[in-house]
This record gives sequence, C-alpha cells and structure tokens, in this order.
Amino acid sequence: MLALLVFIFIPVLAGGQWVKIFISTGCFILAAAGVAFMYARLGMVSLGQIALMGIGGWVMLRMNHAFDLPFEINLAVAGAVTLVFGWLLAMPALKMRGLYLALITLMAAGGLEVIFSTFRFPNGGEGFWGVMPSVADPFRRPTLASSDADYLRYIILAIVVGFLIIELHMRTAPGRAWAMIRRSEAAAYASGVNVVYYKAWAFGLAGFLAGISGGLLAGGLGLLDPATFRASESIMLFALMIVGGSRGWLGVLIAAALYRIVPALFNDWGIDADISLIIFGAALLHAIITAPNGLSGQLIDLFSKESKRT
Amino acid sequence: MITLNNLTVRFGGVTALDAISAQFCQPISGIIGPNGAGKTTTMNAISGFLDYQGVINWNDETVDDLNPFKRTRWGLRRSFQKEQIADDLSVLDNLQAIADNLPLSRSEKRAEVEHAIESMSIAPLANRKAESLNAYEKRLADLGRCIIGNPKIIMLDEPCGGLQQEETDHLGELILKIPELTGANTLIIDHDVDLISRICTETLVLDFGKRIAFGETANVLADPKVKAAYLGVEEDAK
Ligand SMILES: Nc1ncnc2c1ncn2[C@@H]1O[C@H](COP(=O)(O)OP(=O)(O)OP(=O)(O)O)[C@@H](O)[C@H]1O
Ligand SMILES: [Mg+2]
Repeated sequence: MLALLVFIFIPVLAGGQWVKIFISTGCFILAAAGVAFMYARLGMVSLGQIALMGIGGWVMLRMNHAFDLPFEINLAVAGAVTLVFGWLLAMPALKMRGLYLALITLMAAGGLEVIFSTFRFPNGGEGFWGVMPSVADPFRRPTLASSDADYLRYIILAIVVGFLIIELHMRTAPGRAWAMIRRSEAAAYASGVNVVYYKAWAFGLAGFLAGISGGLLAGGLGLLDPATFRASESIMLFALMIVGGSRGWLGVLIAAALYRIVPALFNDWGIDADISLIIFGAALLHAIITAPNGLSGQLIDLFSKESKRT
Repeated sequence: MITLNNLTVRFGGVTALDAISAQFCQPISGIIGPNGAGKTTTMNAISGFLDYQGVINWNDETVDDLNPFKRTRWGLRRSFQKEQIADDLSVLDNLQAIADNLPLSRSEKRAEVEHAIESMSIAPLANRKAESLNAYEKRLADLGRCIIGNPKIIMLDEPCGGLQQEETDHLGELILKIPELTGANTLIIDHDVDLISRICTETLVLDFGKRIAFGETANVLADPKVKAAYLGVEEDAK
C-alpha cells in the first residue's frame, strides 16, 4: 500500500534535483536491507556492503560500455558477480564471529577502496578497466524507464522485489536455519543445520542485494565516483542501520533516508553537510542507549500504544 | 543400545572424560554426578561438538565419522542445559527448523511436526513466538524438537532444571512416553535424583571425569562410592 502511494506520488511531486536524490536513496535502501537482515537474523556484522555495491556498479558500467545488452541482463550479471564476491568474503569469515567477522569485512572493504580509487570506474574507455579521461559515453537505462521519474519508479519496484525476496527467505527453511544459527551454533548443529552452507547463503544474498543496488546506482548517475564506495561509507551505513532499526523494512528506509536525504537537505538549507555526522553520532548513541530496536522500533511502539488508547 | 567405548576428552592439560565405557541397553538411561563431573561433556562428545578419543556406537552403527549436523540428520537429538530455542521464531517454526534438515518429503516433515506438537500437547503454543514462553513451555517445545523424525538417540541435558515440582512431574511423564513415541534410546542428565530414579532404568555416575558406577539405577544410588561423591558435593555446598 505505502509502496504503491510512494510509487505514484514521489516521482511526480519531487523536483528534478530531488528525483536524483531519491534514486540514490532507493539504491542504498536495497543495500541496507542486505546488511540489516544479516545483522538482525544472523547476528553477523558486515562492514563491506557499500564496497560490494561498488563491485556491482563496476560490473554494471563495464557491461554497459562493452556490450549492447539490455539493462536487465547487465543488472543480473552485476548481481550475480557481486553474489560471488559475497561468497569470497564469506570464506575467511565463516569461521569467525562478532568483532573478528566485522574486521575481516572491513579489511575487504578497505582493499576494494584502494582498487576503486586506483582503477576508477569504466566510462567507455579502452581495455579491461575501460577508463578514459574527462568525457564519458552515455549510460543506457532500461527502455521502459529512461526519464528520471520513471527510473525512480523502477527502483521502487526493485526495492519491493528485494524486500519480498528477503521475506520469502525468512518464511522458509533458510530463515529458520538462520534463526537457529543466531541462537547459537550448537543450537544450529542440533537442528541439523549445515552452518557453513547457510552462512554462505546469507553472504551471497546480501552480496546480491549490494550488487543490484550498485548496478541501479550506476544507472541512476551514469557515472560512478570511487569516493562513494569508501570503507568508511560501509561503516556509516551500518551505524545508521542500527539507528533506524535492523528488524524491519521501516528501519531500513529510515537508515537510507538518514544516509542520503539528511545531508542533501542540509545542502539545500546551506548548512555544512558535515554537521549531519554529528547528528548521526548523537542518533547512534540515542539508539544504543534507549532503543534496542532502533527508531523504527520506537515508532512502532508509539503507534501501537496510540491505537490501543483509542 | 548406545555404546561408549573408552571415551576420552581433554581440554588442554585437563582430562574432562577419562576412558568412559558404558552400554546403555535400556530405552531411558540417566547420567548423574556432581557439578563439573563431565556429564555435559559426554553429551557434547556424542554430539560431535568436541574432539574425543574412543568409539560411540548405536546398535551396529558408529557415529564417529559424522560431523555434528550430519549426526542430527542421522538421528541424534538433544536439548541443552540452557534451552536453545530461537526466540524470534514461533514454536511451530522451531520444530520445523529441525524437520527442514531431515531427509523426508514435505508432507512427511509436516506430519512429523504435527505429531510432535500433539504428543507434547502444545498446540495452543504453536503459533506463539518463543520469546513469549515461560521456562516450562520452552522445555516442552525443546522436548518436542527432540522427537521429530524417528530419532535414534535422544539426549536431554537437565530437562527439568529450574522447574517447579509439578512441572517436573509432568515433564517426567512425557519423557517416559518417548520410547513408545520414537523407539529411540534416551539419555538424561539431571541433578534431581528422585526424577532419575523414577524415569531411568539404568544410570551412569561420573565424578571428575571418571566412571564411578554404572548399572541399575537403584543399585547405583545405593553404592557407597556414589553416596560419597554426592556427600562430598553437599559438604562443599555448605
Ligand atoms: N569447552 C571447555 N573448555 C575447557 N574446559 C571445559 C570445557 N567444557 C567443560 N570444561 C570442563 O570440563 C569439566 C566438566 O564439565 P561439564 O560441563 O561436562 O560438567 P557437568 O557434569 O555437566 O557439570 P554441571 O552439573 O555443572 O552441568 C569441568 O571442569 C569444566 O570446567
Ligand atoms: Mg552440565
């Protein structure tokens, strides 16, 4: 319902600049959904999500400039390649838990940061890395959604599909296996759960979502900048996901909105965007101290109290 | 029949289990002993959670080559000293989580889960989130998990720990039904000697990782060595 309303109105109401901001917000919603489910359902902290998004974006641009395939096929390839990278990331991480797992994913993100800033993103140039100075070839969006407003609708649709994929997992065997793993590995083994397999599956799904969101971001902007995918950005997204709340779609929306829309608003109002960092820090403290389920948990509690009163 | 043959577990320099041998021939058998005797360690070895020396058999089958989750798929079930059900799943999903991993068809899995719910009389709890259950209800759900899918060995680590007397009595009745429900061999750890003597035909007594007695429960409990081990604990407790 909400998705439908948003689907119809936001692209119409928002002015040109804001449509672009909503497009990138939408991409980060998908990526955040990946980290959120890893954290809420498996208790695993992944600090490499935005770096993985960079891989998806890189593959998307590479495909776009190298071949003449439709957008959707490029997007599927971006998702699949990033899924495999998610698995690679899972390899060393499978034996680890908690802080060590977080550090491994952060190191991987750091490594990718170096690669992205060294080789940059393909823009139509020659060779494997495909980079040419200054000018860039155009990026082909999906034929159905070449205007910004239509492309935003396309992304909202992708978010809905992404949420449905996660929900489907939660209601079937993988979701139950993940819940047992989160309880404890002993509980998982006692349930016959192949822990390594299902952890790898979770990394794969999170990687896939990152890949799709990176691919969509490439489509939204036409060009990608290595600065977008710095390791620190992955940490920021994770922190904001804690602020928003990791357990449901509302928390993910809040996280991505804080990540993209708040700095843009500040820009609009002529406030230094770095101020948002201070606000994020305060929000994180607030969430850790008073709201174990994040802002979304507080909002849901508030509404359920209100509706009980009436 | 569960056979332990020279089961030995070491943690660094500490020998937690020292060449334990025992043949549990009865449908329900007990393992008792003072705190730190090695009871849970015995179950963890049978689960394959730790490295051990020695051989573990069930009838003619040996489980030593199987890793932990394959042991569950093979037919090992267990509950833990501290219950390990997933709080964010419903009771039904907690049961389904085991059925998911068994080599059964979809309809067989559903039938197994329903059978377990019926046997434990927990239908009213089936759709409740596990986090909303009290300690007793969690133990019932845990026991329900253990009888899914024709298990061969069931191990219950202090199933009645922290329960009221009536609840313990009722859970004891349910445990007594396990043999006819499943045909599995059941091992039970508990500190409640009344419970053990009521439901376990045979009992193994451990102390400091050593077998100090094994046999018919009444005989074992009358053994002076066993009394001494328990008296020692009681004195320590004071
Ligand atoms: N993972 C481990 N690493 C090191 N030592 C351990 C480990 N697990 C158990 N131990 C030690 O092995 C001994 C036996 O422990 P175990 O948990 O089997 O006792 P228990 O008989 O179950 O006692 P309780 O009645 O308190 O549950 C104890 O001394 C314990 O400290
Ligand atoms: Mg114990």
